[in-house]
Amino acid sequence: MECNEFAQRLDDLLDGRLHALGRKSLQEHLARCPECRNRHEHAVAVLENVRKLTPPALHPGFIDQALSRATRPAARAARPKWRPVLGMALAASLVLGVALGVFLATRPDPVQAVVLTIDQPETVRLMFNSAKPLKAATLSLALPENVELVGYSGRRELSWQTDLREGGNLMQLPLVARGVATQELVASLSHGGNSKTFRLKIDVDNTGRSGM
Amino acid sequence: MSPYRRARPAESNFEDLLRPQVEYLYRLAWRFTGSVADAEDLVQDVLIKLFPRTQELLEIERLRPWLARVLYNQYVDSVRQRARSPIVELVTGAEGEENPLDALPTAKDGPEANAERTGQRERILRALDRLNPEQRAVVAMHDVEGYSLEELETMLETPLGTLKSRLHRARQRLRALLPMEPFSVGERVKD
Repeated sequence: MECNEFAQRLDDLLDGRLHALGRKSLQEHLARCPECRNRHEHAVAVLENVRKLTPPALHPGFIDQALSRATRPAARAARPKWRPVLGMALAASLVLGVALGVFLATRPDPVQAVVLTIDQPETVRLMFNSAKPLKAATLSLALPENVELVGYSGRRELSWQTDLREGGNLMQLPLVARGVATQELVASLSHGGNSKTFRLKIDVDNTGRSGM
Repeated sequence: MSPYRRARPAESNFEDLLRPQVEYLYRLAWRFTGSVADAEDLVQDVLIKLFPRTQELLEIERLRPWLARVLYNQYVDSVRQRARSPIVELVTGAEGEENPLDALPTAKDGPEANAERTGQRERILRALDRLNPEQRAVVAMHDVEGYSLEELETMLETPLGTLKSRLHRARQRLRALLPMEPFSVGERVKD
C-alpha cells in the first residue's frame, strides 16, 4: 500500500469501517511507515480533542424560560435580546415606541448620559469595538434604582455570556424608567480574567407625568 | 401512547416531551454554533417552531434523532439568513472608535497570558469555526454525538457519499488547522 492510498482510507480506519483484510493492510503500512503513523496519531488526537470539548453550562432557568416562551406567545416578547450583530433587527422589533438611538462612543470618560421618560421604553445602544473575535465574553449589567431592562422587571443585576466579533458589536438595551433615577448604569465586559467597565448616567424626565 | 396524554393540554404534553431534551438540544446547538448565545437562540427557535406540532411529536418513537434533524435544519437556515442579513454590514467596521477592549491581552502580552488565550480549547473552537455549517454539523453529529453516517443519511436526507465527503473534508481541514504540536505530550491519545 502507498501513502496516498492510506490517506484516502484514513477516515474508514478512524471510523472502524474496514473489513478485516483492509484493516490488516493498513496496519501493515502503519507498522513500516513513520510518516503515516504520525498522520494517523494526529488524526486520532484531533478527533479526541474535538470530542472532549464540552459546552459551557446553560444559563440557570433557561430550560423553564425556553419552554415557557415556546408555549406562551405572550412570554416571547420578554425574550432577552443581547446579541451582537444578529440580534439587532430582532431587538429593534421588540422596543416599544421610537428607539432613542443613543450611540455611545465606548470611551470610559467622560461618562455619557441619556434621558429617559418615565414609563416610556427606549433603546440605548452601546457599540463595542473589539480588536479581535472573543468567545464567551461575559457582559454584566447593573441597573440604577427605578430603571428596568424591558422583560426583566425587578432585576437590577443581569449577566449574559456572549461572543464578540472583530470590529463593531452592537448591544441594544431596551430600558424603561419607573421613577427618578440618580445613579449610573454600569456595564462590564469581561473575558479571560480581564474586564472593562462602561458607565452611563441616566437622567429621568418626569415632566410628562403631570399630564397623565 | 396513553390516551390520558392526548387529553392533556398541549402545553403539558409539550413540556413533558421536550424538557428532557432541551439540554441535549443545547449541547448539539453549541457544537454547531460554538456560541452559548447562538445555541440558546437556536434551541429557543426550535421549541417555538415545534410547539404547534405537539400532536405530531407525541407520535414520534425516537424523538432525539428527529429533534436533532429539526435543529440541524434550523441551524443551516439561520446561517443562511445571517449571511444574507445587512445587519453585519451595519455593525462591522466602526472605524475611529476607541477599542473598549484594549485592556485585554494582545499578542504582545507575556507568555502566560498568551498561553491562556491560545489554550487548546480556543484553538479547537477557532478551527471548528473555519468549517462550513454542513461540515461542522457532520463533525458534531458523527464524530462527537456518535450518529453513524447511515443514520445521518436518513436523518438529514443527505446521500451517504455526500456525508462521507463532507466528513473527509472537515477532518482534513481540522488537521490542517490544528497541527500536531499542540497535541503533543500527554494530549495525544494512545491507540
